Amino acid sequence: MKILVPVKRTASLDDEFEMRDDGRDVDADFCEYDINEFDEFSVEEAIKIKEAAGEGTVEVVVMTVGPEDADEVLRKCLAKGADRGIRVWDDALEGSDQMAIARIIAKVVEREQPELVLTGAQSSDHGFAQTGIALAGILGWPHGAVVSFLEYTPGAPSLAFRRELEGGLEQKASIPMPAVLTIQLGINRPRYASLRGIRQANSKPVDELSHTDLGLTDDQVGEAGSLSRIRRMYVPERGRSEMIQGTPAQQASRILQIIKDVRG
Amino acid sequence: MTQQTPHQITRILFQDFPHWMVAVFYGVAIVAIAVFLWGVFIQLRKYAKGKRDKNLWAVARHCIGDTIATVLSHRAIRRRDQAAGGVHAIIFYGFALLFIGTATVTLQYDILGPFGINFWYGTFYLIFKLVLNIAGLGLILGLVYMMVRRGWIKPPKLNYARPDRSRADPDYNRDFYRIEDWAFLWTLILIGITGFVLSGARLVWLQAEPSVWDYRWWSPAGAAVAVALKILGISAADAAKLRLGLWWFHGLLALTFIALIPYTKAKHIFTAIGAWLVRDPEAVRRLPVGDLDQAKIGYTEIGDFGRHYLLQADACTKCGRCHEACPANATGYPLSPRDLILTVREHANQQLTPSFLGLGHAAPISILGDGNVQIRSETLWACRQCGACTEICPVAVEHVPIINLLRRSLVEAGDMDPMLQKTLDAVNKTGNSFNESRRKRPRWAKDIGFEIKDARKEPVDILWFLGDFASFDPRSQKVSRTFARILHEAEIDFGILYEAETTAGNDIRRVGEEGLFQTLAEGNVATLAECDFKRIVTTDPHSYNTLKNEYPAFGGNYRIDHASALLKELIDTGAISLSKKLDYKVTYHDPCHLGRFNKGYDPPRAAIAGTGVDFVELPRSRDNSFCCGGGGGRVWVPDPPGVTKPGENRVREAGTIAGLDMLVVNCPKCMTMLEDAVKTAGFEGKFQVKELIELVAEAMDMDGKMAAPAAAELVQ
Repeated sequence: MKILVPVKRTASLDDEFEMRDDGRDVDADFCEYDINEFDEFSVEEAIKIKEAAGEGTVEVVVMTVGPEDADEVLRKCLAKGADRGIRVWDDALEGSDQMAIARIIAKVVEREQPELVLTGAQSSDHGFAQTGIALAGILGWPHGAVVSFLEYTPGAPSLAFRRELEGGLEQKASIPMPAVLTIQLGINRPRYASLRGIRQANSKPVDELSHTDLGLTDDQVGEAGSLSRIRRMYVPERGRSEMIQGTPAQQASRILQIIKDVRG
Repeated sequence: MTQQTPHQITRILFQDFPHWMVAVFYGVAIVAIAVFLWGVFIQLRKYAKGKRDKNLWAVARHCIGDTIATVLSHRAIRRRDQAAGGVHAIIFYGFALLFIGTATVTLQYDILGPFGINFWYGTFYLIFKLVLNIAGLGLILGLVYMMVRRGWIKPPKLNYARPDRSRADPDYNRDFYRIEDWAFLWTLILIGITGFVLSGARLVWLQAEPSVWDYRWWSPAGAAVAVALKILGISAADAAKLRLGLWWFHGLLALTFIALIPYTKAKHIFTAIGAWLVRDPEAVRRLPVGDLDQAKIGYTEIGDFGRHYLLQADACTKCGRCHEACPANATGYPLSPRDLILTVREHANQQLTPSFLGLGHAAPISILGDGNVQIRSETLWACRQCGACTEICPVAVEHVPIINLLRRSLVEAGDMDPMLQKTLDAVNKTGNSFNESRRKRPRWAKDIGFEIKDARKEPVDILWFLGDFASFDPRSQKVSRTFARILHEAEIDFGILYEAETTAGNDIRRVGEEGLFQTLAEGNVATLAECDFKRIVTTDPHSYNTLKNEYPAFGGNYRIDHASALLKELIDTGAISLSKKLDYKVTYHDPCHLGRFNKGYDPPRAAIAGTGVDFVELPRSRDNSFCCGGGGGRVWVPDPPGVTKPGENRVREAGTIAGLDMLVVNCPKCMTMLEDAVKTAGFEGKFQVKELIELVAEAMDMDGKMAAPAAAELVQ
């Protein structure tokens, strides 16, 4: 069987940074990049299934949508034990939102025919938590979101999982295969990819595909194929606090004045 | 007294023996030598199964002078245990002389004698007897002392209870070795004693022959025994019988001993000398370069070990010096360098020596694991790579690289503390262990009041390599600012690499992440290659060690000094003046990487002396300095609750100095560990942890620019 694990190269911010000239993102010079933390867990979960199944039964394919820099993320996954990688990119993909990305992943699913797709529950930079779910929607596959425990034997017709709900509740569920799961932090302990492993992973194949290779048209990707568009990214002005002092009457009149000021 | 011709003054071998007895003796001797040679072959075959990762003959040629000097002077064995080392020297020389004596007799009797060449008579014979008597007496007295030491003095380091096993484990005590120790001592002492009784019995037996009896006091011990035998009323005829019985007992015991040398602890006669011959004097400070393209980067099975390491494992005599020096062992961690090496030995014996008559091998197992002859990962992770074990080992065992090569496998398998894994990920991502943005690295120098040159953009005399702690740790940042001000005050032309510096990787390598280390080293070497500077100076002993000793393998050859050496230089040349005499009582903690690794013992002491303080040495100082606990990547791994930290052990030691004001450190990691330990061990308010740089700055009295500690703060 085959497991597809879509991963993302995410940015983390320095505490002092500047915005890009167009104001729609942070200047990349101020970011450190690494694999999305959630994806570390989904990759680990896929490799665990592979290792438990024995030699040659399960193939783990990792994929990402992004420019060449994103290769380092794939290589890390390959070092940990994924079998091969797919990187989808061309200039037309710039500006793709989570819906367009889900559409691209769905095309890779069509091409690769995996039985199981494991995504991170969300990305640690933009945090939409939509890509995995949108993918399931496009594919028409059953899905489980924010999965915190997974039990699956390759070849079984369904899988059982637990997911975290609000208020400390947990839900047990099982869904038929093929399926999409979005994986929560803490489901396992991601292994370490040594630098040597990452270097040696250079010998594992990474396919580079464009949107046309996947049979997508220009208006299905990029900003044209997206449902949303980032207009501006900015640091909101911090609220100010004021200690109101004086007699109760003085305090009341000050509060009244503030309310009037805010209402305008 | 009848005048004897010199030729008559000798000892007739096999005197009065029937021919068959002589034949039997030669038969037994030949068997003993064959058993000995077979044992030597088995051991050599075992070592040959190790990796041929360096040319041992070339190393041995280089080390031969040092080895001879070390063996003859016993300097390595006498360190930190003068008594045992001195007595070992007596035993060694006694044994060696007796061996030479026996060889001389063989030369006379079996080799030259048949050709009619005789020299073993007359004056030579008498002096020979006297010398061997003294040697034999020395041997016996030395062995008696060793028995007293094991049986009554019982130094804790000779206790074989293992910190890496619990009482319930079958190999907790290694009882076999204790039995062997005593068997070894008793065998040798019995050979010695029976030798003298035999000599006395011969004298009594041959008392009528003036060529024997008149010269008896040339063998004083034998003569004394003869006198005693005569007092006991032993007749010449009785003595003849006693002599014959003892002759066989003594002879068979000696031959048995020789036969068993390669199979018992007696083999250290050869293995210890062999280990010195192939020793790497750089073993601690420069770890082996790993080939990242090989199928394996670290050791997982005994066949991965270098041949020299297998030899070293056999050289260990369980003297316990490493056991005593190890900071992990001293503070209750499951590691003793001694026990780790013995496990390697036992594992090699089990895996690489065929069972009796060469029928089959044990099923191959990993050296890593929880089993009987396996090493646990908790044991390997307890190591601080401080080098105390390797540095003191009298038989040149290199525990530090062995542990490191085993750790490389743990890293590869991801068998490590989650905090450590986070740190390695952070270093991979950001180039520093604090998981901070690269841009933040030079931020410590913000608002310092003067411009620090960018060594990437303009030539400088001194390129200051900071290291992670000095750049990011708030306490060490203060020290960095102080050092920058000192350099500025001394009008030194210096610069830093700003955000282009990444961690030097000393501790990354000591953790066992060789690939990441090499990436960091290549990166820094490339950065430094673009800069124009005369020398590098660093405040961090860890960076100092790796830049100095490990970067050359990656093409980085620099003139490099630790900050303490520069401070001493600036004081000596008058570039800075220590105008204010400081009135503190201070002691000094040698950082492993500056002191033990690179022998930087004196410049920091000279700088301290320059400040006028009252200086007291710590009980464990210089080469015997006790690690703060932060080495080998342990600075990133929290010590488990309930365990004494090595740092606490260290500050307690400082706490024994009455009226101490300051514990002076000279390393950002020591600063972190010991400042923390002062708090957790309850010494807060009693004495302060201070950087040498801060002490010097205070003595410079730079117009109150420095945040000088108020005296009141110290009194609290």
